[in-house]
Amino acid sequence: MKNRLKILRAERDWSQADLADRLEVSRQTINALETGKYDPSLPLAFRIARLFGQPIESIFDDGQA
Amino acid sequence: MTTTSSSPRLNRARLAQGAAGLILGGGLGYLVGRLAKQGDIDVSGLTWSDAMAVLIAVMLFVTGAILVAATFSKRLAGRIMDPASDRPARPAQISVYRQQALVMALSGLMMAAPVAARLASQPLSSQLAGAVMAAIVGLFLLQTFLNLSVWTRADEMIRQMVAEAGAVCFWVLQGALFLWAAAEKLELVPALSAWDMMTILMGFYLVISSVISVRRGLT
Repeated sequence: MKNRLKILRAERDWSQADLADRLEVSRQTINALETGKYDPSLPLAFRIARLFGQPIESIFDDGQA
Repeated sequence: MTTTSSSPRLNRARLAQGAAGLILGGGLGYLVGRLAKQGDIDVSGLTWSDAMAVLIAVMLFVTGAILVAATFSKRLAGRIMDPASDRPARPAQISVYRQQALVMALSGLMMAAPVAARLASQPLSSQLAGAVMAAIVGLFLLQTFLNLSVWTRADEMIRQMVAEAGAVCFWVLQGALFLWAAAEKLELVPALSAWDMMTILMGFYLVISSVISVRRGLT
């Protein structure tokens, strides 16, 4: 699933490790999310949305729209 | 900073791991050959599954032992856990990492124990067999506790990877088991022992776990 995670992270000048710490996941999970190798669980998607202050649909795109 | 799966640091880490495996594997092979040549152990009675089990056991035990040792250095543990990152491991990460490494080392011990017992005592004495089995049961219970602890504290992606590996193993091996059992019933293939099947299962699970890790970008 496509996502804007990398862009949102770069806007805040956070490293992958910084974002991982804020979301309480591993850096490898952040890397897998950004490269499309892993889709987050619903709770993690909500945490990401709350962290960036945006709705889930504006961060993740399942290509169905 | 985004890292790619082919960053120089990651490639160096892979090379180091490969080199360590070659050195340790070669060293072990030399040791076994020397002991066999001296007559200290008789490996002529080992089956293919015994040899495969010992190979897997040594890989698991040595890797697990090295990783446990590495967890006593935050920087080294951080480098091994995540070669692409500069950060030392945090205490909570080290705790989970150490438990995972212990699980690996215990798996190796448990897989090697029955084969080692048969090599050490020919014919196998009932007292030794009982003692080894009791030790295996104790180690299995400890490993189960550690596995559950790791599961509850692991990253969600790691949990999904473990579940995927389990699902793939189940679907592939249950089909293979059925086909082999049917052929065995029809006397078309030789019978497989429980030890043979366990060894195949462990080997297959390790391969599938590695493939899934690569697909997620972990290795």
